[in-house]
Amino acid sequence: MAVATATKPNFTVARLFGSTRTARFMFPIALLALWQVIFMVMQTDILPSPAETLNFMWDEIRLETLSRHTLYQSFAISLGRLAIGFSIALVAGIVVGLLMGLFKPVEDFLYDMVVVTLAIPSLIWGLMTGLLFGFGNLAPIVAVIGVAIPFVILNVLAGLKNSPKDLLDMSGSFTVPRSRTIRHVLIPSLMPFLFAALRYGFISGWHGLVLAEVFASSNGAGWTIRFWYDAHRAQGVLGYALFFILFALFIERGVFEPISRRVFRWRPSIRNLPVVEEAVPDPKKFKIALAQAEDEATRGDDPDR
Amino acid sequence: MKTIDAPVEEGRRTAEQGEARLARARRVAALKRWGWRIAGYAFFLGIWDIASGTVMSDRVLVPPIAVVEEIGVIFRSGELWFHLSSTLTKIAIGFALTFVVGLIIGLLTPNRWWEAFFGDFVTATMATPGLVYALVSGIIFGFSPIGPIFAIVLASFSYVTVNVAEGMRALPKDLVDMSSAFRIAGWRRLRHVVIPHLAPYLFTGVRYGFSTAWKVTVLTEVFAANVGIGFSLRAQYQLFSMNGLLAWIMIFFILMLFLEKVVLQLIENRFFRWRQEGRLA
Repeated sequence: MAVATATKPNFTVARLFGSTRTARFMFPIALLALWQVIFMVMQTDILPSPAETLNFMWDEIRLETLSRHTLYQSFAISLGRLAIGFSIALVAGIVVGLLMGLFKPVEDFLYDMVVVTLAIPSLIWGLMTGLLFGFGNLAPIVAVIGVAIPFVILNVLAGLKNSPKDLLDMSGSFTVPRSRTIRHVLIPSLMPFLFAALRYGFISGWHGLVLAEVFASSNGAGWTIRFWYDAHRAQGVLGYALFFILFALFIERGVFEPISRRVFRWRPSIRNLPVVEEAVPDPKKFKIALAQAEDEATRGDDPDR
Repeated sequence: MKTIDAPVEEGRRTAEQGEARLARARRVAALKRWGWRIAGYAFFLGIWDIASGTVMSDRVLVPPIAVVEEIGVIFRSGELWFHLSSTLTKIAIGFALTFVVGLIIGLLTPNRWWEAFFGDFVTATMATPGLVYALVSGIIFGFSPIGPIFAIVLASFSYVTVNVAEGMRALPKDLVDMSSAFRIAGWRRLRHVVIPHLAPYLFTGVRYGFSTAWKVTVLTEVFAANVGIGFSLRAQYQLFSMNGLLAWIMIFFILMLFLEKVVLQLIENRFFRWRQEGRLA
């Protein structure tokens, strides 16, 4: 940055290298260069060269593969499973989250179970569903549901707890119809939480899915990278790893960031919202939630809260 | 005297009564909450117990009591410490490295050029499945312990980086200005301004990073190790022993949650002892 501001406008080379857009492209180039150097220094058969790996990737893109399915088929199979599992998790999670937010006994009944489910590593989901349901579509789908559902439930619950009480009271005293209150007060306040549920539920569901495919499936993207691993084809593993990284980048930069900008257009800052997005709930937030719950409990039972 | 005293005492009595009533209400609410909570545990354990043997064979869906028994067997066999020490060593080394790498990249991000340089990489590594790191480090490093360490760094450095970057962005400008006005720079500024401000962000990053780190360690051991918790998990899986699998993971899971929730929290409390109670709230 310092270089860019200090140089005269006609000194284009420094400006070119100083710009942030160049910096973005410098990273993959630097990585490839580093890889090439390590490859030449180490002189082993284990580490493939960047050229070999890129060659492999190019073959995969052109549908020339030794694996059972092409790159596109593998990812399509996985994404299909993810879509089914994640839709189920989303619907069920919203229903359970609403029930927990509206009825205190339901929350007490389920809260600990949801937190425990959230903390279960996706490896365990993969191994367990594999042992329980055997090979096929069922195990990966159940794994996706298990991994993603606690994110949805906890975010819906946090959203309900965070709903603007003053606005709800106001719409009550101005006799705003219920449907309009829901449309204009409740849904906008739930939106950031639902979006966080969507984003982190999707990403962690994806992580759980590929693991379940490794242990309990015979196709899909997770299975295919395992296939190259078992075949001891290092360039296959690294090439597929790069595909996974590109896919992750696409999902984040190409899908979730534009949606997030669209959803939050009306709102100048979303940074300080307490959205549940971590793998394990923050103990401090948990304490706050607990204090709120206690507060609610001592105020007396109000089922229509 | 009497005429003055009586209403005061009466008022005090009603206040005491009110407090007593409030305390009673609070007790009832707490009792209710704990009742529902315990009912939740009982319900799910009950479903698990009934389902094993009826919905599925009890060799596949083992009853909870079998898992508890298996945990006892593992503890007595002495195998646990052998595997546990190996895994914990890898986590310790790997996470120390993660901390350093994450911190350095995080400290670079206030510079826009470096932020753009690492931006896509940090985003992508956060959203890439742990399986990918496990297999890549497995195929490059084989059974050597460098593999899991490499995987830990790749999988969890971004959590430290993102939080440090967030902290740097929120660095109080007035304090930085003041320290430059008083010619306090370099190490002293780092020690007295930047580090105290960054500490809470660092702790958040460490917590998330650590929870990713131990998961990816186990995952890497599943594919490329001949010792460790992950290796034991795979061995149980290949024996189709559900109770062994659940028992091993329960032991490790509880230990890691203990480290994450209790030990890290204690360190954090110690670190922030200098803060006044009011400022924490």
